[in-house]
Amino acid sequence: MNVVRVEIQGVSKDFAGQRALDRVSLSIREGEVHALLGANGSGKSTLIKVLAGVHRPEAGSVVNVRGERLEFGSARASHAAGFRFIHQDLGLVDELDIAENLLLGATASRRFWLSSRREWDSAATALRKHGVNLDPRRLVAGLPPSEKSMVAIVRAVEDGLHGGGILVLDEPTAALPPDEVRHLMDLVRRLSDRGVSIVYVTHRLHEVFEIADTVTVLRDGAVIGTEPIDEVRGDRLLEMILGRTLEPYQAADPSLRGEPVLEVDGLTAEGIDDASFTVHAGEVLGLTGLIGSGHESILGATFGAVPGSTGTVRVSGRPLLRAGPKRALAAGIAYAPADRRTRGALTDWTVRENLTLPNLKPRGLARRLSTRWESVDTAHWLRRLQVKPGDPEARFASLSGGNQQKVVIARWLRCLPKVFLLDEPTIGVDAGAKLGIYRELRNAADAGAGVVIASSDAEELAAVCSRVLIFGGGRVVEERSTPLSPDSIVAACMRAAAPSVSPGERVTATTSERHQRT
Amino acid sequence: MTDQLLEHRRSAEGADPAGQSTVSTASIAGRLGGLRLPRFGGLILLAALIAGFGAAMPETFLTMQTATSVARGQSITIVLALSLTVCLSAGVFDLSIGSNVGFGAVLALSLMATHGWSPLLASVATVFVCAAVGAVNAVLVVGVGMDSFIATLGVSSILTAITLMASGGVIVGPAPSGFQSIAAWQPWGIPVLVIYALALCLVAWYVLEHTPLGRRLYATGANKAAATLAGISTDRYVVGALVTCGLGAGLSAVLLSASVGSISPAAGAGYLLPVFAGCFLATTQVKPGRYNVAGLLIALFLLGTGVKGFSLLGGEVWIPDMFNGLALLVAVGLTVYLQKREIRRSKVRLSPSRAPE
Repeated sequence: MNVVRVEIQGVSKDFAGQRALDRVSLSIREGEVHALLGANGSGKSTLIKVLAGVHRPEAGSVVNVRGERLEFGSARASHAAGFRFIHQDLGLVDELDIAENLLLGATASRRFWLSSRREWDSAATALRKHGVNLDPRRLVAGLPPSEKSMVAIVRAVEDGLHGGGILVLDEPTAALPPDEVRHLMDLVRRLSDRGVSIVYVTHRLHEVFEIADTVTVLRDGAVIGTEPIDEVRGDRLLEMILGRTLEPYQAADPSLRGEPVLEVDGLTAEGIDDASFTVHAGEVLGLTGLIGSGHESILGATFGAVPGSTGTVRVSGRPLLRAGPKRALAAGIAYAPADRRTRGALTDWTVRENLTLPNLKPRGLARRLSTRWESVDTAHWLRRLQVKPGDPEARFASLSGGNQQKVVIARWLRCLPKVFLLDEPTIGVDAGAKLGIYRELRNAADAGAGVVIASSDAEELAAVCSRVLIFGGGRVVEERSTPLSPDSIVAACMRAAAPSVSPGERVTATTSERHQRT
Repeated sequence: MTDQLLEHRRSAEGADPAGQSTVSTASIAGRLGGLRLPRFGGLILLAALIAGFGAAMPETFLTMQTATSVARGQSITIVLALSLTVCLSAGVFDLSIGSNVGFGAVLALSLMATHGWSPLLASVATVFVCAAVGAVNAVLVVGVGMDSFIATLGVSSILTAITLMASGGVIVGPAPSGFQSIAAWQPWGIPVLVIYALALCLVAWYVLEHTPLGRRLYATGANKAAATLAGISTDRYVVGALVTCGLGAGLSAVLLSASVGSISPAAGAGYLLPVFAGCFLATTQVKPGRYNVAGLLIALFLLGTGVKGFSLLGGEVWIPDMFNGLALLVAVGLTVYLQKREIRRSKVRLSPSRAPE
């Protein structure tokens, strides 16, 4: 436990003159769980990529593994030194069974004759050794997310690691429902007991307190501090991550709102657990939380795009009887999904066809769509949102991300929605276009629509929203209203994922939310 | 949190619908459209074929008789290809279209010749039954959720079997002469079948390209998820497309049985390839990337002229199959080639070291 396995000394990395890592030094001991924390842009990923041999750091950087100098820029050298990486994309093949996945790329598969029985036996041994109770003949596709992660981890540590290597887990729990995190934690604990060193990257503070022995915080590419977990408190960690002290919590101010236009009650779907919230006319409501908290999927479910969801959705007091995008749209809900290239638009079609699709306006008995008339209509919207180029016949895919998103927003504003739901409205959008989008959303709200933005961008939420709901575990756990700051939103997200830090606030927020609904 | 956003963004951008490896009707259309052949290149090719054959055999090829024979010969293919266009536009294959038309023709003729039904009643029954086959396809594809390629292939095989079973493998017919006259009439010297086909083309062109129905149908085929989120009941459009395709096959079957009078139970199979070849080639013409009616007409007249010309030159029975097959292989071969090139390009685009954290 006290023997240093990896010694990182003065590692720096520049990208196009920007310093991504600034003389980072830290040591990872044998059999310890070392948590790596930091906000976005803090350098965590860059550091991991240096260790993985993806990035070559600047001269003067040194990484020693068991006293031997690590050759930089070589994935092979990194693998030979004992580094194993588990990313969010686990790299498993869904169509194969567990045993086959465990043996993918391993030496055992170099035989001429592959024996299923032998594979199953060795896989069963490997799984048992790590206390993973799974039948190796099961298909990976049918496994819950946590068990997939465990298969990937077992594969990583069984792949030629004798006497324990260094397992780097990059947000291993991000995609896991809260109840499955436990199993993964147990496996990590067992591995560290066997002498495997673990670098644990996460945004969830309570996991750090649960599993880590040591925690290192990075900010702006530099190490802010390395502390044993027993000597640090949650608030102190947040301050280290953010670089500022936290603002006091402020109660919601419900005065500047109109009538409720959208009431979601007890909505349950994949990743959402009995979530309820209300949107008022004239407000821009923000929904946020850490990845997996439910804010990413609730708007799609509200719109009826997720089959098998239950709960009631009311628009201006009238319930949507049978869920489905068509009915939601008819009731006055518009929805812009996050992945506009695959779900938000038809990329091979023209801007005109994309913009008019949800609200085609045929004329006469022959139901004729006039291209000329559509072009005039489209050009008007392109001017209004300052889309460049303003050519209605341009291919959607040829537009820049910001202009694509403006077209998507224009398409829905053209339907004059009562409620406008947007998932991650400014992903891949440049700063100038962002401001234009915010202005349009604000205008829509001023015109009486209820606008809801689900976003992981705290700065965006603080800039546009009058009220922000923080999600955790698939439901709303906290409400914040103006004045909002990015820091307070980030802190609230982390608190929401760590119920032990401030249970009092959660209860008040949830009850206040209940009051508004009734 | 922004790391995850970046990841999210990458996956959103990496998931290029054109880069997927499975062949969908939309990706075929998109890639063939991406060939950037001249939009009316088919017309030039058609002119070249006519000039070439005309030079080789001026007495036999450059006659009104050849022109009407090509047009008449392609008219039933046109009606079928229009039906298939509806299907492919909605993003589903109908491989049962050939056997459905053969089945329908045998049904119509045996109802008239063997069972003594009136031509009108037999025709209506045939169209109805063929549309019902389309409905079975729809149940399998939308209701059960099978891949349309597999479902319609299975239905096609079963239809072939039923056709053989019902006909006993022998030629069915002949149809009453009154019935045959609906296909034999030649106002102003133009075969009436050609007029039927062109009239249907006009209707299909208007509906597909100038009405909300057509726009939503194309949207369903282009990207079902995105179309659903735009408020389109995509499942209904797929069902409608498959039933329409069956209906079109029924109509073609009636026209076919009227024009030939008596028919071999294997006649339907010969339509499958030319119809698909025509639809795929159509996506390179006039409106690149879409299954469109004008492009279809060019493609089918191109194929028909080529087949006719080579037949007149050599008269060999294998020429139509060879020509249609080569045309299809060249078209789809180019599709796959371009798809691969596209994937390779997109990999190159994604691989440069990602933005620093």
